[in-house]
Amino acid sequence: MTANGGAATAAPGGTAVAAARGVRAATPARRRRLGGWRAALAPYGFVAPALLLLAAFGLLPILVAAGVSLTDLDIGGLGHPETIRFIGLGNYQRLFADPDFWHALGTTAFFVVIGVPTIIVVSLAVAVALNMSRSRFFRALRAFYFLPAITAIVAISLIWGYLYNSQFGLLNQLLAQVGVGPVGWLSEPTTARLSVALVAVWRATGLNIIIFLAALQSVPREYLEAAALDGAGRWTTFWRVTFPLLRFALFFVTVTTLIGWLQFFDEPYVLTKGGPVGATTSVSLFIFKNGFSLNQFGYASAGSIVLFVIIAAVTAVQLRMRRSDDA
Amino acid sequence: MISNRSSGGLSLMAVAAAVSLAACGSSASGSEATGDSSSAPAVPASLTVWVMGDSGANLEAAVEPFVQDTGIEVDVEAIPWDNVNDRLTTAVASGEGPDITQIGLSQLASFLDAGVLEDLSGELADHPNLDPANFPSAVSAENLNPDGGMYSVPWVSDTRVLFYRSDILDEAGISAPPSTWDELRADATTLAARGDGQYGYYIPQWDAPLPVAYTWQTGTDLIAADGSIDVDTDGFRAAVDHYLGFYQDGSVPTAGDFDQTTGFISGTAPMLVSGPYLANAIKEQAPELDGKWDVTTVPADVTSTSLFAGSNLGVWKGTENLDAALQLLDFLTEPATQVAWYQSYGELPAVTAAFDDPALADDPLVAVYAAQLQDSKPLPVSTAWAEANQAILDTLNAIALTGADEDQALAHPRATLAPQTAR
Repeated sequence: MTANGGAATAAPGGTAVAAARGVRAATPARRRRLGGWRAALAPYGFVAPALLLLAAFGLLPILVAAGVSLTDLDIGGLGHPETIRFIGLGNYQRLFADPDFWHALGTTAFFVVIGVPTIIVVSLAVAVALNMSRSRFFRALRAFYFLPAITAIVAISLIWGYLYNSQFGLLNQLLAQVGVGPVGWLSEPTTARLSVALVAVWRATGLNIIIFLAALQSVPREYLEAAALDGAGRWTTFWRVTFPLLRFALFFVTVTTLIGWLQFFDEPYVLTKGGPVGATTSVSLFIFKNGFSLNQFGYASAGSIVLFVIIAAVTAVQLRMRRSDDA
Repeated sequence: MISNRSSGGLSLMAVAAAVSLAACGSSASGSEATGDSSSAPAVPASLTVWVMGDSGANLEAAVEPFVQDTGIEVDVEAIPWDNVNDRLTTAVASGEGPDITQIGLSQLASFLDAGVLEDLSGELADHPNLDPANFPSAVSAENLNPDGGMYSVPWVSDTRVLFYRSDILDEAGISAPPSTWDELRADATTLAARGDGQYGYYIPQWDAPLPVAYTWQTGTDLIAADGSIDVDTDGFRAAVDHYLGFYQDGSVPTAGDFDQTTGFISGTAPMLVSGPYLANAIKEQAPELDGKWDVTTVPADVTSTSLFAGSNLGVWKGTENLDAALQLLDFLTEPATQVAWYQSYGELPAVTAAFDDPALADDPLVAVYAAQLQDSKPLPVSTAWAEANQAILDTLNAIALTGADEDQALAHPRATLAPQTAR
């Protein structure tokens, strides 16, 4: 009974095992087969949302703008699409013959040359100083430096507008105290460029300081100790050990800052509206004026495509330089 | 800076959005066209009205009697002046507009180009208040509708007059405000000699119509008979000399951020050309100056012509509430409503008859405004003109502020504007 029973139980047990074994034998193969297309598709599934967003909000607008830049679309065309004419490269010809565009390009170059190095040097210097200590005071300072980055641009423009005002501004009042005549902070063309750039630098350093600070804090302590044991001074340690380890942060800050300044818009828009006499009209502001004040959508699109190409080219050069740097 | 990083992308995107909306807009207006818009709605209509600036609450109060009388709801939407163009673009692209909109005269050309306004010329018989005969000839239907028709009716008027500080002029030995160009320049120089940081006059660097008004004052027009923009005239040259003369004399501030209200109240700029809104600002901010300042018509070269500014009202094309919208327009252009609007918000009436009301007729400031309005012209209604006007202003400021060579700088607008037509 028991044996029989045992056999009886054994038999199903055996088949169960066999079945299980069969399953076990089949599963890896199936899994491999399934896994074949699953594994191939899975990454696409993961990137699909990002890819769709990129296509809808990144690629499509560029393509549409490229299309619009070949037409004479204005506000009349918006209301009556049948009147829009295809004018080929007419907008680009007009753009390259427009002295205002070249002036805006020169202004943007001026801002890039002044702004990018200033931001990198200032944020790195402040970050290194802030990294000296982690006391309560230094933590408070860190928050203080970050404040401009989180302040609304409208508030910034009001405050700086009052500081800079040539009639009743604080800066000129202070200068008058020490006997210096009034300065046209926002009304003298070259000064206005520097004033506007100063506000942008002040506003942009906060975020970059945090990036540099994070990179500084991730420098392994052992390296610094080893350098100290080798008798390296503070200066040598920074340039030979810390600075090379900041390479990635430096690259990131350079790329984003450069792109930001090529698209320079907010500060001149709110502080000077591009004046005086066009001295602070960047390419972005030029595009904005043509597109949104004069309703020349085709012409403005041509300008934005040119700006896009410039930014893409500059960024590509930087990426290439970084690659050769890595190798 | 964070938003900087995306602003270029944003401008691309905004254009894209406008275009894709344009596609929707065309289909929407298509379906509207097939629907019968003339059928009267069963329930009392509700009107959406766009007003510009900060006058939304005042307009709501002003239309209260109309709402009581007709049972038509009026939904007022206030649009800041800076956003008007954006809102227009979005509305054109989406096909979703209001029923009635206020239109600043300087923006009328964009509205006409966009083709969003209803032609009202056929509605005058039933709505006598809209008759062009009720309004100054400067804003006649022919002047404001270069392609014919009548797409808007005047709503408020505005002009520029000479403001002067009588106390400061007296002190400097100037007994009467200047009435000619030569007197203006001489007085401005005298007043600027009061000391460091003191000026005689003020030229707003953003004021594109100012060189135009100077040209008109020489008896010249900037638009030739064939509609082309003509800056190659003796009159324009004289206007340029007049404009730049103040800078050569050192009698005007060179700072672009000079605040005219502060400058006038403090006395640093005791003479300037501005609109009625400055009078309101002075009364509000410096009541103690009462009696120490006055206004007069602008100094003349050949004529004493000034700018006719102000706003019109238009009915959005394809509105389902055309009858109600016309009723509201009729109400708003009634002389009594116009007087009430002046009393509540301080904007001058567009309807000529409203100036006879004691509320206006007894005000010495309004008497000057009314006299100036008699000799005022609106800017040409043309989008090409808006761009040309900006180019002229930029050139003049470049000469005045950066010392650019006058002949060379003027050659540029002359060459680029000559082939352009403002019609």
